[in-house]
Amino acid sequence: MGIIAGLIEEAPRFFTYWNMLFLANAALNTLLVSLIGCLSGYVLGFAIATFRLPQITPLAPVRGALILYVEAIRRIPFLVLLMCVFFSFQLSGVQASLFMIAVTAVALRMSALSAENIRSGYEAVHTRQWDAALTMNIPPLTALFRIILPQSWRVILPPSTIHTVSMIKETSLVSQIGFLELTFSARMLNQRGFSALICYGSVLVLYFVISYAFSAVGRYAERKLVHQARVRRVPAMPA
Amino acid sequence: MTLQYGQVLSYVPDFLAGAWLSLQIASLAFVMGLIIGLAGAAVLTYGGIVARAPVRAYVSFCTNTPQLVQIFFLFFALPDMGIILSPYAAVLIGMTLNAGAYLTEIQRAGFQSIQRAEIDAAETLGFSRLQTVRYVVAPHIIRTLYPALSNQYIIMMLGTSMAAIFGVEELTARALNANATTFRSIEIFSLTALIYIGLTIIASALLYVLGRALFRVKARAF
Repeated sequence: MGIIAGLIEEAPRFFTYWNMLFLANAALNTLLVSLIGCLSGYVLGFAIATFRLPQITPLAPVRGALILYVEAIRRIPFLVLLMCVFFSFQLSGVQASLFMIAVTAVALRMSALSAENIRSGYEAVHTRQWDAALTMNIPPLTALFRIILPQSWRVILPPSTIHTVSMIKETSLVSQIGFLELTFSARMLNQRGFSALICYGSVLVLYFVISYAFSAVGRYAERKLVHQARVRRVPAMPA
Repeated sequence: MTLQYGQVLSYVPDFLAGAWLSLQIASLAFVMGLIIGLAGAAVLTYGGIVARAPVRAYVSFCTNTPQLVQIFFLFFALPDMGIILSPYAAVLIGMTLNAGAYLTEIQRAGFQSIQRAEIDAAETLGFSRLQTVRYVVAPHIIRTLYPALSNQYIIMMLGTSMAAIFGVEELTARALNANATTFRSIEIFSLTALIYIGLTIIASALLYVLGRALFRVKARAF
């Protein structure tokens, strides 16, 4: 039981105000990178999924290119994608901060994941809905926002919270380019002489808290949305 | 500055050897994770409260923390306790434990999809226990789970890239090494990305064909 005794002995030295501030800052960086990246990725993914619809884009080559983009990005490991983004910035000569690079990589990966997710949401709505809307001369984009999207939210939402949580976890790879997020902070603390057990242990706990909280919010929103849909459907029943 | 692939192309055989190692790591971790997942799912479905609690804790811990930090923990914290793992072993154990948690969740859904009526019907037809499992339960479970399982396999194949951080000589590590000697960064990493894309597309296609031929799974390949 030397390990536990060692931990107890080390804890007061480790859990100081400055170390906690350092970890909190790193956790904030993790959150910022994943949330800004995910949000921009979602906007991009939404655009991709929408322009992949034959009702919106009649041009087949454009749709083909979008499919190619999604399939390619989805199949590149995040670490390799990160390196590609990192060196692309270098090649193009743009002075980008590490934060910018990390957010771009997260957004690229998320755009492919969410495009796939939103597409399956669109596909859950029967094409007759599209046919009916277009027959009534409703413009395609209006039909999408007023008719298709309200019905596909329930399909889109559950996987998207899962994707967001998995992106938060994947940002741990951003430590490889030297951006100060949770994983990198654990490595720094470890190099300052604290034991690996306490450094990586506390970072694991922080990751757990963050992603558990996000999953809980996702589950809550899902319950709420499914519930609302059920309530709304009731008046339509007697016919 | 222009892209020059000439020098980089000579690394292709080296990269492909690395890809083969990635494939091995992913497959090994997947198979071992499948076994852990099967046990975990069985406990979660049929076990008592006392047995379920540790499995639940394991699943929610592993699915809510990054795989990279888990492997870091195994690699750097275990030596304090007197267990020294080689990079390869640490990566393999970390990936197996992580995959085990996800596969527990996936296979639990399979166990839950079994219906009492199916088993009753098999019993009425005079099937023995083994026959019931072999001809009724297993085909059903495999067909429901196959898409999720093959998806998990592809995710794990991409996940092997983090083995590079620990110095296991798989595809990404070889790319990083080649980058350090030639400095043709963009060329090398775009080539690596291309290999990963090809590898996962081949795997997806193979899994699709296998599922069709062996279990008559009717799912889309892509």
